[in-house]
Amino acid sequence: MTLSILMLFLAAGVPYYLILEKAKINSKLIFVLSSLLLMSAIILSQYIPNEHNTVLLSISFASTVYTIYKASKTTNFYKLGYYLIFINAPFFLLFEGRGVMYSVSLLVSLLGIYLIGRFYEKNYASANYHYIRGITLSTPYIGTFLTIYLITLALYPPFPNSLYFLGYVLQVETSLAWYIVIITIFFGNFVLAMKVMRESLFGRPNANIHYVDLNLNEKLMHLGVIVLLLILSFNGLKEILL
Amino acid sequence: MENIILLIPSIPIVIAFILSFVSKKELIPKVNLILSSMIAVFGLWGTYYVISNDRSIIGFDGLLIYNELSAILVPYVAILGLVVRKYATKYMWDEAGYRRFFILLNFIFSSIYLLVMSNNLIVLALAWQLLSISLYLLVSFNVGSNTAVQHARWTMIIHKGADLVFLFAVILTYKTFDSFDLAVLSEKWLAMSHSPVDNPTIFIIGLLFLIAAMMKSAIMPFHIWLPYTSEAPTPVSAVMHAGVVNVGGILLNKLAYLLLLTPMVLNIAFVVGLITAIFASALMLVVSDIKRSLGYSTVGQMGYMIMEVGLGAFSLAIYHLIVHGIFKATLFLESGALIKFARHDPNLPKRLSYELFWEEKIKSHTKKAFNYLAFFAILPVVVFVGVKMVLSEEFFTFNASIVILAFAWLTGTQLFLSFFKVSKADSFKVIFALVSSFVIILFTYEFIGLSLEHFIYGHNALLFYKAATLNVTIAMSLLMIALIMIIGWMFMYKQHLIDIPTDKNQANTFKWFFYKFLVKEGNYFALLHRSKKGKK
Repeated sequence: MTLSILMLFLAAGVPYYLILEKAKINSKLIFVLSSLLLMSAIILSQYIPNEHNTVLLSISFASTVYTIYKASKTTNFYKLGYYLIFINAPFFLLFEGRGVMYSVSLLVSLLGIYLIGRFYEKNYASANYHYIRGITLSTPYIGTFLTIYLITLALYPPFPNSLYFLGYVLQVETSLAWYIVIITIFFGNFVLAMKVMRESLFGRPNANIHYVDLNLNEKLMHLGVIVLLLILSFNGLKEILL
Repeated sequence: MENIILLIPSIPIVIAFILSFVSKKELIPKVNLILSSMIAVFGLWGTYYVISNDRSIIGFDGLLIYNELSAILVPYVAILGLVVRKYATKYMWDEAGYRRFFILLNFIFSSIYLLVMSNNLIVLALAWQLLSISLYLLVSFNVGSNTAVQHARWTMIIHKGADLVFLFAVILTYKTFDSFDLAVLSEKWLAMSHSPVDNPTIFIIGLLFLIAAMMKSAIMPFHIWLPYTSEAPTPVSAVMHAGVVNVGGILLNKLAYLLLLTPMVLNIAFVVGLITAIFASALMLVVSDIKRSLGYSTVGQMGYMIMEVGLGAFSLAIYHLIVHGIFKATLFLESGALIKFARHDPNLPKRLSYELFWEEKIKSHTKKAFNYLAFFAILPVVVFVGVKMVLSEEFFTFNASIVILAFAWLTGTQLFLSFFKVSKADSFKVIFALVSSFVIILFTYEFIGLSLEHFIYGHNALLFYKAATLNVTIAMSLLMIALIMIIGWMFMYKQHLIDIPTDKNQANTFKWFFYKFLVKEGNYFALLHRSKKGKK
C-alpha cells in the first residue's frame, strides 16, 4: 500500500502543484520537477509491482478533473505542461505496467511544449501565449512544431500518445471506472490542446508584437523531439497492429 | 507485384513530406500533380486487377485490402483529388500558406484512402481519427478569420465525438467477436446471419457504428458542422462535400454484414435518414446564404444515402455518394470560376436556366437536326433498357430505393424551381424536362445499382433486403411518388393563384411559424444559447 501511495505521488496522482504554486515557485521549476518525478515513477514501475487500487484511482481521478479546470484557465506553456502530467496520471495508475509507454510519449511531447515555452520566454519575455496569436501565419516554423505537439497531446494519430492510448484501451478489461477515466482523459487532453491551438496558432497576428521564428539550433532541437515521437509512433504501431 | 497498389495511402504522405522541402513555389503544384497522378494510375490498375482476376489484393499482414469496394472508390477519390489539386494550383496561389494547404490536402486524402482500403478495425480507427484532425486543420485554414476558426471548432467537437463512439464500437466488437480483421469478421457475421441472432451487444455495436457514421456524414442532429464550414477555401469545400461526408456511407458498407444481424439498426438508419432528408431539404430552400444552402443540400443527400442503407440498398448508397460527390464538387469548383468570371465582367453571368427557357435563340437547322438526332438516339436506348429491366425479375427485388429516388428527384425539382424560377416561363417545357430527367435518373440508378450490387456483394446482396424489415414494394413506391407529385402540384397551383395578403387579410399563423422555424434552422442555435445561459 505504501508503495502504491508513493507511485500515486510520483505519477502526479495528487495535485501537489497547488502547494508549490502557493509557495510562489516558478512554474518552469514545477514543470521540471513533476516531469522528473513521473520519470522516476516510470523507472520504478519496472521494479515495483504497481497494483490497481480503486481508492487511489479515485483520488487521482478527482485530481484530474480539478486540473482540467485549472488548465482551461491558464495561458502559460509551462503551467499547461505540468497540468497535462497531472491530467494523465490516472492512465498510468489504471493500466499499471502497460501505461508506461504512454507516459513516456507524453513526456516527450511535453518536452516539445517545454522548448516552446522556453522560446516564448526568451523572445516574448514570458511563456504566456495570450496575446501572441496567429503564429501559423507569422512564424510558420514554430507554428508547425506547436501544431504537431498539440495534435500529439490531443491524442490524434499517427503520433505515439494516440497509438499507445488505443493499444491499451483495446487490451484491457472494461469497467465503469475504466469508461469514466477513458472518456475524461480522451476529452480533457483534446479540449485543452484545441484551446491552445485556437488561442495561439489561429487568429490574426498582433500588429504590436515583433514576431520571431526559430533559429537553426532551435529547429534542430525540435526536429529531435519530432524524431523521438516518430520512433515512439513506429513502436506504438508495431504494438497495436502486429 | 500487384501489392504495390496497397501503397496508395502512403503516397500522399510521401508527397506531403517532399513538398515540405520544395523551396520554389512554382514547383509545389507540379510535384503535387505528377505524384498524385500516380495514385490515379495505381487505382485504375488495381481496379483492372480486381475485375480481371475476380479476387482482392491483400497485404501488410492482412491490414490493407484492395477489394471490390476499393476498386470503385479509390479511382473515384484519386481522380477527384487530381481535379481538386489542379484547381487549387491557381485558386490558392495568392493565399498565405500555399505549401501548408497542399500538405494538409495530402494528409486528408491519405486518410480517405486508408479508410477505404483498411481491412482491420484498428487501421480503420486510425484513419477515422486522422481524417478528423486533417479536416480540422483544413477547415480552419483561413486562420485569420474568427468565424472560420469558430466553425472549425464545432466541426472538431462533433468529429471527436465520432472518434470516441467509433473507438467504443471497436472495443465492443473485439470483445464480442475476438478479431479486428474485417475479412474474418465479415465471414463470421455472414455465417451468423443464417440463423436468428438475439444478442443485445450486437445491436449496441451496430448502433455505435451507425452513430459514428451519422456524426461524420452530418446526419441530424449532428449536421450543424457542415453548412457552417463553407468559409474554408473552395477546394476544401469540394473535398468536404464530395469526399469527407461520404465516409459514413463507406463505413456502413464495410460493416454491411454486421448490420445484417441488427435489422433494428437498419430501421433506425432509415428513419434518421428520412428526417434528415426532409428537414435539410426544407432548410436548403429557406436559408438566405447560398453556401449554407448548398451545405444543407449535402446534408439532405447524406440523409438519402443513410436511408438507402436503412433499406438494405448498400451498393446504391455507394453509387449515390459518388454521383452526389461529383455533382457537388463540380458545383463548388464552378462557383469559384464564376466569381473569377464576375470579376472580369461587370454584368452578372447568365444563368443556365435563363439560356434554356427564356433567351430568344436564333434557330438554326443544324442545331435542330442535332436535337432530333440526340432525341431519337437516346430515347430508344432508354426505352429498351427500361423495358428490359422492368421485365427482369431483379427489378422487383431492387425497388425499395425508388422511394428514395422520388425524394431525391423532388428535392432536385424544388431546387430547380426555386433557384432558377422557371415555372411560369414555359410550364410545358419545364414539366417535360423534369419528368424526363426523373425517368432517366430512375433507370440509371436501377441499372447501376444492380450492377454495383452484383460486383460488390454478389448473391449476398439479397440478404440485405431480407434484413431490412422496412422493405417497400413497387406499388407502394409508385403510390407514394404519385401522392407527392399531386401534393406538390397543388402547392404550386395554390402559390400562383394565392391573393397578396393585405391588412384586411389575416396572416396564416401556422405558415408563418413554420417559415420562422425553418429560417432559424430549426431553432438549433436558440436551443444551444439557451442551454449555455442555463449553465451560467
